[in-house]
Amino acid sequence: MALEEILCSRPRIKILKLIYTLGQLNVSDIARRLNTNYTSISGHIQILESEGILELRTYGRVRMYRFSSSAKAQAVAGLIEAWEKQTA
Amino acid sequence: MTTSYSVFRDESKLDINYIPSKLPHREKEQRLLSEFFNFIIQCPTQMTQRVILTGDVGTGKTALAQTFGADLTSQTKRKNLKFHYVHINCREFRGSLQPILHKIVTAFRPTYPARGYAADEILATLMQVLDEEETTLIVTLDEFDSLIEKEGSDAVYKLTRIHETRQGQPQRLSFIFIMRDLNAIEHLDDSAKSTLQRNIIRLQRYGKPQLIDILNDRAALAFTLGAVEDDVIDLTAELAHSQTGNARFGIELLWRAGKYADASELGHISAECIRNAISAIIPTLHRSELASLDFHEKLFLLAIARYFKENQEAYVQIGEAEKAYQVICEEYEEPPKSHTQIWLYVQYLSKLGVLKAEVVSSETRGRANRISLPSIPAAELEQEMNLSLQGKR
Repeated sequence: MALEEILCSRPRIKILKLIYTLGQLNVSDIARRLNTNYTSISGHIQILESEGILELRTYGRVRMYRFSSSAKAQAVAGLIEAWEKQTA
Repeated sequence: MTTSYSVFRDESKLDINYIPSKLPHREKEQRLLSEFFNFIIQCPTQMTQRVILTGDVGTGKTALAQTFGADLTSQTKRKNLKFHYVHINCREFRGSLQPILHKIVTAFRPTYPARGYAADEILATLMQVLDEEETTLIVTLDEFDSLIEKEGSDAVYKLTRIHETRQGQPQRLSFIFIMRDLNAIEHLDDSAKSTLQRNIIRLQRYGKPQLIDILNDRAALAFTLGAVEDDVIDLTAELAHSQTGNARFGIELLWRAGKYADASELGHISAECIRNAISAIIPTLHRSELASLDFHEKLFLLAIARYFKENQEAYVQIGEAEKAYQVICEEYEEPPKSHTQIWLYVQYLSKLGVLKAEVVSSETRGRANRISLPSIPAAELEQEMNLSLQGKR
């Protein structure tokens, strides 16, 4: 998927900012914090995971998503960091 | 709010959650704890340990564990070893294992979901997280009795035998269990019991001289210079000692007395502040007990009350008390009783807990009897006695 397609979605940016801030989260928690429904968040997460930006970590039945160690993920994290620093 | 006349320099040093950098009179126990957990420095993932700390309220169990945890954390940091210390009070979670384990996991994974997962799953997650972090962990379960009471043998067994299901893998999770009463263990079945009863450190009650050292240490950190005189510390230690050697009680008393001192803009803590503080903490004197005293006992108590109200002292020599009593007798136009009779009053009132009498030795003046008013403010006692003596003049 092209960069502009990944980053053109407001919910995806919000998900990325949330995970960047809190480290790792499960889908229900993300949906609750963003006041959005589970299915919608799950769809966005799948895209971000398939692009290698997020990775899944499972603890028994608990499934949590966090930034992967890929170059793409680090670049996105760097973007959020720079942006958040500037607006802080 | 700290005001310009405040006796406090840093009142957080008297807070229940403050972890002191040194624990007077617990050096032996600290060394023992260090010995038990020495492997965390020497061979971190080769073994685990379980230790029970037990003792009465205010004997320093929590402070000992927390100080030890803080020390070990800084030691391991210096040696670049991965180590964490987590302190949990089981009573805060009503002794339920699931939220206790959740709390431990969130020390590493703050967003781990709070609901929907069983204790077994969370324990497995904890072990996975420790592996991911490649760290060792000591968990202190404070007020462990409440967990035993709520969850019984199964929970204890799960916690203490977790490494048996991980043969050949790094050993990462150790425990300190804090219990007031070891009898709780007796309710466990034999297999759970056997995992606990190996390393027990018993903390004896503090004696009065030890309490004086502890209170002096805290007072030096918490109060401004000269705000607390030695005799006030002495009186506070005496009171804490009478409360089964409860250091926490003494520390709380100092804090409360400091508040009374500030409210009265005294600039220092007087013995009366301590008495005010203790009367706010524990119900001390029953009116019926005072009402049942005979006439001269009441006169004597009134004399003591006035003495302490007028003199900001913690103790009065018996001779001085007798003089004060004679003045009161004059006021009530009564011939004073003899010295021997007064001594009997002191003993009786002491037995009731209204006064405290003790013999002290000094190099210059030999042995002397001194009296303190441990648990009721002098002003309150004076008022009570005046009421009780009304119409007797």
